[in-house]
Amino acid sequence: MDVTCDIFSKRLIISVLWNIGLQAVIAVMLAYIYGCYYVKPLPKYFTRFSMFLSLFCTQNIIFSILYALSGYFTMSLYSSLAKSNFNTLKKICENYDGQCLLEQSLFLQMGGMWMGLYYFLNAHIFSPTTLTFPHIYQDKFQQIKLAIHSILSCGFKNSIIPVVYYCIFYYFWGHKPRNVVSDVYGLYLEDKPLDNILNLFGSGIWIGLWFYTSLFLISVYAMRTVFNIVLTEPMKFPIESSKKLTLHKAIAQKSQFNGYLGTQDLKIMSLTDTVRRKEIFTLSQPGGHPRNWNNLLQECLKIVNDFSKELDSINGDMKPVEIEMLPKRPGSSITPKSTLYTGNLRNMAYSPQLHELKEHNKNKSEDTLLSAIKEEFNILVQRIRQKPGISYLFGELTDTRLKFLLMQAQPVMWTCEGLAFIAAASLKEDKYGVVQTDLPIVISTLINLKQNLDKLTKPGLVPRKHILNDSFALKMKSALLSSVKLSIYKIVITFSKYIHEIPLDPDVQIAIQPFLICKEA
Amino acid sequence: MSIFHSFPNLPGPEETAFCKLNEVYCCGNARYGNISTFSNATKKHPIINVTRDLHHHRTSDENISMYIDVEDNLLKKITSVWYKQGFLEALSVAADPSVNRESPTLAVTASYILKVANILTAFRYFLQPHLKDIGPKIVANYSRTRNWGQVPVKCLAWHPHTTKIAVATVDDNVRVYCSEVTFVSTLKCKAQGHVSSLNWRPLSASELAVGCEQGVIVWTVDPNLMFTKPSSSNAVLLKKNGHSPVTDVSWSPNGDLLISCSGADTSMLVWDTAMETAIPLRRVAGGGNVFARWSFDASKIFTATSSIIFRIWDTKTWTPERWCARGHRVVAACWGPDNILLFAAKGEPMVYALTTTSLLSGSQTTKATPALDVTKVELSSGEPVGGPILDMCWDPTGRYMAMLFEESHLVAVFCTTYIMMQLKIDPCCFVTGVEDEIPCTMAFQQNFNDGACLTIAWSSGRVQHFPIIYSESY
Repeated sequence: MDVTCDIFSKRLIISVLWNIGLQAVIAVMLAYIYGCYYVKPLPKYFTRFSMFLSLFCTQNIIFSILYALSGYFTMSLYSSLAKSNFNTLKKICENYDGQCLLEQSLFLQMGGMWMGLYYFLNAHIFSPTTLTFPHIYQDKFQQIKLAIHSILSCGFKNSIIPVVYYCIFYYFWGHKPRNVVSDVYGLYLEDKPLDNILNLFGSGIWIGLWFYTSLFLISVYAMRTVFNIVLTEPMKFPIESSKKLTLHKAIAQKSQFNGYLGTQDLKIMSLTDTVRRKEIFTLSQPGGHPRNWNNLLQECLKIVNDFSKELDSINGDMKPVEIEMLPKRPGSSITPKSTLYTGNLRNMAYSPQLHELKEHNKNKSEDTLLSAIKEEFNILVQRIRQKPGISYLFGELTDTRLKFLLMQAQPVMWTCEGLAFIAAASLKEDKYGVVQTDLPIVISTLINLKQNLDKLTKPGLVPRKHILNDSFALKMKSALLSSVKLSIYKIVITFSKYIHEIPLDPDVQIAIQPFLICKEA
Repeated sequence: MSIFHSFPNLPGPEETAFCKLNEVYCCGNARYGNISTFSNATKKHPIINVTRDLHHHRTSDENISMYIDVEDNLLKKITSVWYKQGFLEALSVAADPSVNRESPTLAVTASYILKVANILTAFRYFLQPHLKDIGPKIVANYSRTRNWGQVPVKCLAWHPHTTKIAVATVDDNVRVYCSEVTFVSTLKCKAQGHVSSLNWRPLSASELAVGCEQGVIVWTVDPNLMFTKPSSSNAVLLKKNGHSPVTDVSWSPNGDLLISCSGADTSMLVWDTAMETAIPLRRVAGGGNVFARWSFDASKIFTATSSIIFRIWDTKTWTPERWCARGHRVVAACWGPDNILLFAAKGEPMVYALTTTSLLSGSQTTKATPALDVTKVELSSGEPVGGPILDMCWDPTGRYMAMLFEESHLVAVFCTTYIMMQLKIDPCCFVTGVEDEIPCTMAFQQNFNDGACLTIAWSSGRVQHFPIIYSESY
């Protein structure tokens, strides 16, 4: 007796170790793929068909397999830990000579796979996978401590529904996998079948399934929480460095994970970090150019301007779109030559920027056969798209483009606020007047974005297909608007005494008037 | 010799103080006098007088008995009670045999459910005894307004950038007075009950956070629209389980984060108001957080708990430094320039200063020192002044500090100077009410260029602007 027990416990320990090892391997793979979601820019799906196709990308397929395996291993791990014999499919028959199927264990292991798939569907297919950065970042341990409560309660609560689904499924189709398994292994069926409601409830295995599912969900939620906490930790980028990734280069990697970290760091730096701000305001040693600031400004303006442009194209969707979009260069929209700084505002590093020569290479209209065919084809495609069934699949969905744009608005918000707070800090900290030369372009960029956003809120001006009905996107829109306003207010209030000495376009000057008298809602 | 004996004499029996002009204490006849004879600095300020007839009627616990019962059928009665007062009240109506005569089975079921619910609540109060005090009681207990539940003005808040003031009145409406326009916007919505605090969002013209029993309501009042009663679609209610009643709201000076504190919750919430998400900052020791104050440069936050513990949070790492007050909880605290903090504990006539000094080695030391002793004395006119401190305010430039006392009806204003790491507090003047008026709450105007302007809400409903004007040439 003693010896058998010893062997059993040895086997048990080995199986547990194996399970834990496999779990660890799967967790590493899951984490890797999970991370891959955020390294790439968000994919665009504007039609139902492309959305449907995107469900079957390799990443999703691998993910679903991994989750199913993870669910399976978790179930067998927990059931072996609980010293029940549900982690083996076979048992010795009591009434016959031979081996019998242990249906409970089949029920549990299939349930585990289903739970993995269910979680995958819920978390990755039916809900957006955007990484939300917390607005304040506490110590990691503190965050985990705060999250534990919700992880536990969510785990136990959310596991009820999949268990119910699974029981329903097993009631209708449970006999099929059971027959297959017992045929393959040549097992007899001795106990009462579980695809009967009374037997299922009587066996009590559903309680076990619910409990194990809760544990599985808790472990998955915990993994995800820890992963998110580690991913969203703010990072300090150096302003000047030859080896490490510098701040402006990080910001330049727009819509990627580094771009997020970079813009977030820009905001944090503009608010709290005097040392690095000082580095921005310095001039490069040979030459005396404000290189750090120029690099940073260029990237920031690029982010904001690109976003404005996208918004503008959405706003002007109904009207004929202007084809020629002039690349906006810092300094090209204002005329710095004629308006020089006067009065109190220091102006030491001012260098008049050269006007870029525009090249209008007009496209000569070519009337060739090829283009005619192309045109005809396009018209045909357009006409086919109008057909009801096809437009359902291939037509552009309402609000998707705007939603897609707003989902990426977080770095834009950080950039606006970061720029504004650096500009405000420059009033006292900027010895050489590095930032002040570029104040007009910063202000006009922000005003431009604000005006584009205002157009979105005006009823009647927005085409019907861009009206938002997603609460997250709506919140994002209001957050963006409020952060842009905050940025303009910060600059205007800080420079209120000198605002008339900043050379601004008349339009911009008019636009900042309500901010000066605090009348802009 | 108490500091109060060096104050200028109180105005005569028929007189009241109007302003202080370059060290001249200007008093005049209380009935016929006018501040415009002395100064034009507050000429455009809104004239606020909260009288009883302005109040809107509100069904509160006291006057609900005034209504005549209408015979409704049972289902309607229960649903209306459920809608207005909640599930438990509806259960007790259903269980009451004098009301519910129609279906005895429902009455029996309801009474059993009620019993179970009562056992559960009793168990909950056994675990968390601090929740037993219902909302308004907690707010009244921790409020820095004198007689918070009864006075006409519950709290007031100046806008940080313009001459605009929000006043919460006893009927839980918030009125917004503006210097340029004559009309008053009244903010009111169903969720807005037991208003404890107001705060305007910095770097914004229109957003006002209102702390009330259910949570925080963020109003967006467009200053260009001429609505006297903006609809409640302009309000966003931010609430979270267990975070009720909110006793204080405060915006970060950078305008991006909002902190709400509840006297019954050990965590304070840091809100991103646009996304409507909150991150709790939780430290269990000390019990509920009563109020929070941001330092001017947003690098530090002072939070007072309902016990002797108070904390100074660092906003870079979001970690607190824990302090203990002597004897009682901190009732009032205010930040000044150079990250100097003044605070006072309940029931103690002493103001402490918390200063941070940077050493040459780069490390920082913080120490608390007694800064001002305000032990109760009697003035030559027989008026008592001093004693336990009720509230303190420091003007944005850090030159004047006003103080309310629990047992005195005078508002004491002090001059403060902070030179060479030394805080010096000198007497300035007293502000007295007309007749038997008692000061309830007060605030300094945030954008007053000629000096400092103290706004005091008196128990009669009058709101006085008391400018202290100094010119640099003087």
